Amino acid sequence: MKPNRTVTPYLFLVPAMAVFGFAVLFPVIMTFAYSFTEWNGYGAMVFVGIDNYVKAAQDVLFRDSFVHVLIYIAITIVLEVVVGLVLAGLVSVRRRGSLWFRVAIFTPVMLPMVVVAVLWAFVYNNDFGLLNAALQTLGLEDLQRVWLGDTSTALIAVSVVSGWVYAGFYMTIFYAAFNQVPTEVIEAARLDGAGEWQLFRRIKVPMIRNAITVALLLCITGGFQGFDLFYVMTNGGPYGATEIPTTYLVKSVFTFQNVGYGSAMAVVLTVVVVGLGLIFTRVNREKPEEVRS
Amino acid sequence: MSIDASNKQFDSARTHTAKHHAGRRTPLRIADVLFTAALIVIAVVFFFPMLWMVFSSFKTNSAIFATPFALPTEIDFGRWVEAFEVGHIGQYALNSVIVTGASVLAILLLGAAAAFSFSRYRFRGRNLFMGLLALGLLLPLQSYFIAQSTMFTQLAITDTRWALIIPYTAMGLPLAVYLLKVYLDAVPDELFEAARIDGASDLRIFGSIALPLLRPGLATVAIFSALSSWNEFLLALLYIQDDALKTIPTGLLAFSSRYVTDYGLLFSALSIVTLPMIVIYIVFNKQIVEGITAGSVK
Amino acid sequence: MPVTRKKTLAAVAALSATALILTGCSADGGSSDDNVLRIAMGSPGEAQIRVWDDVAAQYEAANPDVTVEMNYQDDDLYQTIGLPNLLNGRNAPDIYFEWAGARLEQRAADGFAADLTEAVTSGPIAGLFDDEVFTSLTVDGAVVMVPHSADVTNVLWYNEDIFADAGLTPPTTWAELLDTCDALNAEGIIPIASGNKDLWAAGNWLAHLTSRVVGEEAYSSALAGDTDFNTPEWIEAFGYVEELADHNCVNESVNAVDDNEGAQLFFQGKAAMHAIGSWLVSWAIDEAPDLNFDYVNLPAMPGEGNQESVIGVVTGYVVNAKSTKQDEAAEFLALLNSDENVQQFIGAELTPMTLSAASGEDIDSRTASLTSLLETAPAIVLPPDNGYDLETANALYAALAEVLGGQSSPADAVAGIDQKLG
Repeated sequence: MKPNRTVTPYLFLVPAMAVFGFAVLFPVIMTFAYSFTEWNGYGAMVFVGIDNYVKAAQDVLFRDSFVHVLIYIAITIVLEVVVGLVLAGLVSVRRRGSLWFRVAIFTPVMLPMVVVAVLWAFVYNNDFGLLNAALQTLGLEDLQRVWLGDTSTALIAVSVVSGWVYAGFYMTIFYAAFNQVPTEVIEAARLDGAGEWQLFRRIKVPMIRNAITVALLLCITGGFQGFDLFYVMTNGGPYGATEIPTTYLVKSVFTFQNVGYGSAMAVVLTVVVVGLGLIFTRVNREKPEEVRS
Repeated sequence: MSIDASNKQFDSARTHTAKHHAGRRTPLRIADVLFTAALIVIAVVFFFPMLWMVFSSFKTNSAIFATPFALPTEIDFGRWVEAFEVGHIGQYALNSVIVTGASVLAILLLGAAAAFSFSRYRFRGRNLFMGLLALGLLLPLQSYFIAQSTMFTQLAITDTRWALIIPYTAMGLPLAVYLLKVYLDAVPDELFEAARIDGASDLRIFGSIALPLLRPGLATVAIFSALSSWNEFLLALLYIQDDALKTIPTGLLAFSSRYVTDYGLLFSALSIVTLPMIVIYIVFNKQIVEGITAGSVK
Repeated sequence: MPVTRKKTLAAVAALSATALILTGCSADGGSSDDNVLRIAMGSPGEAQIRVWDDVAAQYEAANPDVTVEMNYQDDDLYQTIGLPNLLNGRNAPDIYFEWAGARLEQRAADGFAADLTEAVTSGPIAGLFDDEVFTSLTVDGAVVMVPHSADVTNVLWYNEDIFADAGLTPPTTWAELLDTCDALNAEGIIPIASGNKDLWAAGNWLAHLTSRVVGEEAYSSALAGDTDFNTPEWIEAFGYVEELADHNCVNESVNAVDDNEGAQLFFQGKAAMHAIGSWLVSWAIDEAPDLNFDYVNLPAMPGEGNQESVIGVVTGYVVNAKSTKQDEAAEFLALLNSDENVQQFIGAELTPMTLSAASGEDIDSRTASLTSLLETAPAIVLPPDNGYDLETANALYAALAEVLGGQSSPADAVAGIDQKLG
């Protein structure tokens, strides 16, 4: 690396920083500024101090939306990260010939979420949906319900779709990580008489802890940003049971034109997501890489 | 049927693994068969919604209602053609290609240039700029889309392709710069010094040494930038109201609300946008998987 | 090797330049082109889209230098995010659909509604309408909308065959309605179909119901934000909604499916009744041409309001005050309401409000009777989402949905509205 006093490094940097500054950084600052105002997006802007934050703190719907997204994240950690880990473990037991399996499981990741959402809205449809029809075929009519219309199942139903999409994604990440576990370690454990399950639990999983931390970070911060599935499948319903911060934000800003209030909620959400991200990166840094060279 | 097709393809591609012969060799094979059966069951459960979608696209409304699991009685691609035409899917796909293509190219070019700057030079503000881009890795969409939308509206950028290309590029840059910098950092300094001594300009060094060396990194960046731009929904929903400029996700949503009661047609449209992605994935699965793993784990 | 590398770089640069020029061109195409007349609306359904496309073709034939660009959006999207974004956007529409009432006034206040007074008194639109219709479309002394149709936003449609088979007659009182629900449930038929995922479908219907109980004035003042919802009258009104839930009057999926899917239950004969607006007739042409159905107004409720009231709203088209093509827009609206095109719309089951429409011979009897229902109504109730502030309307709708779905008690739901609105 050469110390350089010319403008050259800046010339290489300017285009990227200009686009990033224009489309991300400046709007972040403006969103923060808007959060102290009452504004409908085009009329007069009124400075209101921290009123919007006080309102957000008292807003039951906003609080509920956080609860919902936390439940969603908790479920998706199980359905995406844990299931992904188990699937990767299964596949890594016998690597040969598993390609077709990984392809099948990974395919949903390729699809636009809107396509996934529309498709699964049909799966859950209570008139002709796949799920109710399957239950009927199996003689389990009692379990049939309006999956997306029932407050007790809607959030889970959406989470399951998310799991369907991303289990393959995390499986792929973990599979790549498992492949980096030195074979000698595994062979040695095998000679000591460890079964596949013990190998998985005691050797493989601990050795890819780093990849698991990253996956958790992705799952959690990604979960806070979820929107497509919720917007298309339930749009917050039934009775607000699937209202998450993002759908609530979009409603406040774009439907009811409360730009100031929406911005305050966006700031709160940003602080939470960035804060979690920083904590995770710190934790990851403190534990030096053990496996990946 | 897609499962079978892909199966065969992969099996034939990997005949050297001698999987089939191995199957008859040792007594342990019962466990093996069970194991494979379990994998097949899981794969089928995962794949079933997509199969159901394709089957249903060939059915009438009443057949979808009455016999949801039955195979279609006839395979008539007329519905697909109809869905493609009345649904403007060609137009949406073209828009997606243009927006994704332009965004990816911009990310590659700007990202490589910035990574080059960070990796090869020390200069005032370097840490600040790197910190800002690193922050971009963590910032959620929600932190900027409100002000971005009012800004774009005031600048009359909404309802143009720029309204998507600019934010997609900006959103893709932090990870691109970060990854490409890792690649460049691994390049020995001597390579660049040699060129410099030969009198090559900085731009020349970037173009003829750094970029070619970065090719694997650029491929990785291209893959995950392309996927995220192709599938982005929220900004496309907010910024593009003109039907002629809609991308596949918002276009498909418009389609689904317009033909919501013609389920066969809707399933046809869903199948049309899904199948090419599956084919692309099957062909490029190795690169895609590598790209995505690298993009998320690094 | 440097040669090939240079080539790679040149190729990448050329590619990206081409791509940017390409996108630049197509992005700028719309705005720099001054000869495009843009018209935006929520999708009116296939039958009417055919008429609109034909009117656009007629206009283009008569004005070869102008291109007409139609933008049919998803209804709910248009009403919420779509139209405001369009108006503030680059390719703002020259003509756009709007509902009369608070929304229209807001558009005028924001400077998006051109003064059409001259056009309707002495310009191209003069003489097409009865002057009286413009009184409700006038803001600050200026006519700002050309009316298109008067929509009754909710009546109770019923399947004549199902009713005949079950030996039922359409309900006219609240008690009869509940009895009808019980009888239909006993037959295994969904009594009333409703697709309330987006909250306005049953919302409109139940808002009308509550207005009958609390009275039109209390209804209007609560929605305007002048009085609270949490009053014994509103709780009583919500109590009737709870009775609907108790008698299983609506499909179980009511809050999970959208209005299209709700209509589908009715079209397929799975539900005997359907609570929705006058546009159902037009939908039925495409979706269920053989269905025998008719309507009754909301059954009389025990309560303060006028029990013959009708819930409805005038809709029409506004010329954008920021448009540079206001004259062309007025001419287009005149063409839209020409005798020939009015007959075309009637063929698509929409009765325009022009004087000429009355002379049409093949107006669907149900559409004609709905028009007269609205014209002769002793009281007209405005739908919450068209006539009042959207956030208030939404809070009311959400509360109604909760009670209809059996999630909240009337008292809790009503208290929740005030709490939500702060």
